[in-house]
Amino acid sequence: MGLDRISVWSRPIAILGSVFSGIRPILVQGSNVKFMTGTALLFLVLGLGLIGWIFGRARASGFVRKAKGGPRGTVNSLPYYHGWFVAICAVVPALLFMVIWQSLSPSLVTNMVLSAPIAAELPQDTFARAAILSEARAIAQGFQATAFQDMSDKLVPLYKGALSYYKWLGVAATLLLLFAGGAFAFTRLKPDFRARGKVERVIMFGLLLASLIAIITTLGIFASLIFESCRFFSMVSPFEFLFGTDWNPKSVVTPGADNGYGAIPLFWGTIFIGAIIAMVVAIPLGLMSAIFLTQYASSTVRKWMKPILEILAGVPTVVYGYFAALTVAPAVRDFAVMLGVSNAASDNALAAGIVMGVMIIPLVSSMSDDSIAAVPNAMRDGSLAMGATKSETIKQVLLPAALPGVVGGILLAVSRAIGETMIVVMAAGYTANLTANPFDTITTITVQIVALLTGDQDFGSPHTLAAFALGLALFITTFFLNYVALRVVKKYREAYE
Amino acid sequence: MNKAVIDPSPTDWNGHIMQKRIASRYAAERRFKAMGFFAVALSTLFLAFLLFTMLGQGLRGFQRTELAVEFDFPALTSGATAASVTGPNADAALNSMDIPGLVELAVGQQYAGLGDSLLTSAAAANVRQMLIDNPELVTSIQTLWLPADSRLDVAFKRQGEPAAEKTVAALSEKDALRTGFNWTFLTGADATDPSAVGIWAAFKGSLMTMAITLLLAFPVGVLAALYLEEYAPKNRLTDMIEVSINNLAAVPSIIFGLLGLAVFLTIFGMPRSSALVGGLTLALMTMPVIVIAGRNAVKSVPPSIREAALGIGASPVQVVFHHVLPLALPGILTGTIIGMARALGETAPLLMIGMRAFIPAAPEGFTDAATALPVQIYLWSDEVNQGFVEKTSAAIIVLLIFLLGMNALAIYLRNRFETRW
Repeated sequence: MGLDRISVWSRPIAILGSVFSGIRPILVQGSNVKFMTGTALLFLVLGLGLIGWIFGRARASGFVRKAKGGPRGTVNSLPYYHGWFVAICAVVPALLFMVIWQSLSPSLVTNMVLSAPIAAELPQDTFARAAILSEARAIAQGFQATAFQDMSDKLVPLYKGALSYYKWLGVAATLLLLFAGGAFAFTRLKPDFRARGKVERVIMFGLLLASLIAIITTLGIFASLIFESCRFFSMVSPFEFLFGTDWNPKSVVTPGADNGYGAIPLFWGTIFIGAIIAMVVAIPLGLMSAIFLTQYASSTVRKWMKPILEILAGVPTVVYGYFAALTVAPAVRDFAVMLGVSNAASDNALAAGIVMGVMIIPLVSSMSDDSIAAVPNAMRDGSLAMGATKSETIKQVLLPAALPGVVGGILLAVSRAIGETMIVVMAAGYTANLTANPFDTITTITVQIVALLTGDQDFGSPHTLAAFALGLALFITTFFLNYVALRVVKKYREAYE
Repeated sequence: MNKAVIDPSPTDWNGHIMQKRIASRYAAERRFKAMGFFAVALSTLFLAFLLFTMLGQGLRGFQRTELAVEFDFPALTSGATAASVTGPNADAALNSMDIPGLVELAVGQQYAGLGDSLLTSAAAANVRQMLIDNPELVTSIQTLWLPADSRLDVAFKRQGEPAAEKTVAALSEKDALRTGFNWTFLTGADATDPSAVGIWAAFKGSLMTMAITLLLAFPVGVLAALYLEEYAPKNRLTDMIEVSINNLAAVPSIIFGLLGLAVFLTIFGMPRSSALVGGLTLALMTMPVIVIAGRNAVKSVPPSIREAALGIGASPVQVVFHHVLPLALPGILTGTIIGMARALGETAPLLMIGMRAFIPAAPEGFTDAATALPVQIYLWSDEVNQGFVEKTSAAIIVLLIFLLGMNALAIYLRNRFETRW
C-alpha cells in the first residue's frame, strides 16, 4: 500500500520539480517589464495547469486502483477527465483574470501616477497632458530611449514604480486565483465524481464560443463601419456623398459647402470596371468553358483543364495587378491609339477590367458547372432523344433550366469583382472620372479607400472616415448581392431535388 | 382557330431541303463546340502568357551583374595581417580600415573616367563580409567580384540608359563584368537601391503573419465546424451563425482591413504594421473558409460510425473527438491549406493596417513593424527605378512557387487520404 502511494505520486512530483527549475530563469528575467506581464506569465499559467492535470489524473488513478480491489464500486470517469477538470478549474479563471487585468491595469497605473504630488505640474490641456503621459510610459516600459519633453523625465520613475506595483499585483492575483481554482477542483475529486460530464460541458461551451466568433466578427465589421460612417456624415452631408458628382476630397471640411466628397463617380467606376467590363470578359468565357468541359471534353481533358482553370483563381491579385499595369495596360493603350482614340490613358479602365474578368473566369465557370450538372439527366436525354443536337440541347434545355444557378453565380462574381482591390489599385487610375470611355482613367471605391488611408493621417480626419463610409457602401452592396445569389442558388437546387 | 396543315406523307430525310437543314444544324453544333474550346484555350493561354511574362522578367532578378575590382590590400591597408582582422578586435580593426573609402579608391584607380558610382551601395558591406569570412585575403592582391550599380545592372542585362550603356560597353571590353547569382535577393531586405534589395524580410514577415493566422483560424474554424455540423440545435442563433459565416466568406478582403484598422489598431491599440495585427486580420478572413471546408469534411463521415460509437457507450463529445474528427481531419487540412494559400497572397487588408512601411531589416518579433511578400511586390511595383521591374517579377516567382507548393500539398493530401465510404 505504501509503495503504491509512492509510485502514484513520485512521477508528478518529479515533473513538478523539473517544471519549476525550468520556470525559475524566466521568473528571474521577469525584471524586464515588457516580457514578464505577457508571455512568461502565460507559460507559467499553462505549465501550472499541466501540473494540475497530472495531479488530478494521478489522484483518479489511485481511485481506480482502490476500486479494483475493494467493494466500493467503479469510478465514474476515466482518470484523465479528472485531470482535465483540475486543469480547467485552475487555468480558465486565471486566464480570464489576465485578460481583464491587461485591459484594466493601464488606467490604474495612470491613476496612481496622477495621484502623486508631482502630477500637479502637468499642463491642464488634455492633449499635451496625454502626450507627456504616453511618452513617460513608453520610456518606463523600455520602448523609447530618451524623452523629447522635459516633464516626461520626471514622471518616468513614478511610472516605473506604478507599473511594477501593478504588474506584481496582477501576477500575484493570477497565481492566487490559479491555486485556489486548482485546490478547489482537487478537493472535489472523488471516485463517484462526474468529471466527464463537467469537462464535456466546458468543451461544448468552447465549441459554441468558437462558432460565435463568426457573429462577433460580422457585428464588429458592421458596427465599426457604421460608427465611423456616422462620424463622417456628421461632417459631410450624406446627400453630398450619395448624390454628388465631384470627388476631390478635401482634408478640412466646411459644413454646408461642397467638400468634394461626391461618390457618384466612384460608384460608376466600380460598376463600369467590375460589373460591366469584367463581366463582358468573364461571363462568355466562363460559361463556355463550363459547357465545353462538362458536355464536350473527354474525361482526360476535363481532368487536366479543371485544375488549370483553378490555378487562375489561385494566382494572388497583386500578381494580376502587376501584370495588368505592366503588360496589358500599355498594350490596350497602343491598341486605342491605333484605333484613333487620342486621349487613351496608360491607367485605362479596360486593362483593369479585362484582367479582373480573367480572374473571375474560374468562379463563373465552376458555378455554371455545378448548376448544369444539377439539371436532371432525364431532361437532357429527352431532348437528345427527340433528335436535337448537343448544342441545341444545351442552348434550349440545359441553359434555361440551369439559368437561376448561373445567374446566382454571376451575382457572386460581380460581388467578388467590385470588392477586388489590388488589380484596380495597380492598374486603374486615382482620378475620379464620370465617363463611359473604357480607354479613359476611372477610379473605383476600393482604390479610393486605399488612397484615403495612405499617408500619416489622424484617425479622426475626414479622409480616414470617408474610407469607412466607402467601405460601408461596399459592404452593403456585396452583402446584398451575396444574399440574393445564395438565395437564388438554394431555391433553384431545391426545385430539382 | 388555326388549322394545322398536316402533311400525310413521311418526312423525306434524303431530300435536298432536309439535308441542307441538317448540314446547317451540324455546322452550328461545330461552331458551338469550337466556341467552347476557344474559351478554354483562351483562359489557358492567358495563364501561360502571365506565367511566361513573369518568368522571363523575373529570372533576371535572381542574377546580378558583378564588376571585377582589384584590391591591393597590403598597400591599401598599410600592412594589415590576417591576425589583425580576426579575433575579438576584428570589428574595430575593420572599422578603422574604412572599407567604403578603400573600395572607392580601388575602383577609382582602375576605372578612372567611367563615372563615380559603378558599384552598388552595399558593395562595401560585401567586402567587409568577405574579409570576415576569409581573413587571408588581406595579405595579398585580390580581384573581388562586387555587385554593380543598378543602372549598369539594367544596361548589362538588357537595354538601359544611354550613359550606362556606354559605361557597360567600356567595361565589357576589359572583361570586367560578369553575371552571378544574386544571393542578396534571397537573404536581404528592402532597400532604396534595387541592386541591394532582398525578399527575406518580407518573407519572414509573411511567415510570422501566417503563423498567427494558422494558430487562431485553425482551432476556431475546426471547433465551429464541429459545433455547427454535430451539435447545433435548429434555432435562430444557429441560423445567424450560418448566415454570418457564409457572408464573411464572401466579404471583400479590404473590409477586413478596415475592421483591423478600426478595432485592432484604434480600439485595442495594438502595434501598427506588426505581424500580430496582420495575422489577426487574416485569421478572421481565413476562419470562414476553414469552417466551410471543415463542415463538408465532417458531413462526409458516414453516420454509421457515429452510431457504432454511441452504441458502445461513447458520449456525444467522445464520438466527435475520438472518431469523427480524426476521420474528417484530412479534408479539414486540405481546406485549411487552401485557405492559408489565399491568405498568403492577400494584400489589401495588410495595406489597411499599415504593413506598407519601408522595412529595411527582417522583423525580430511579432510586434515589430513588418511587411509581407505580396505587399513587398506591390511596393516594388510602384518604384520608378527600372531595376525594380525584374525584382518585382522575381518576388512574384517566389510567391507563386510557394502558393503552387501549398496547393500541390493540398491536392496530394486529398488524394492520399481521401476515403470513399
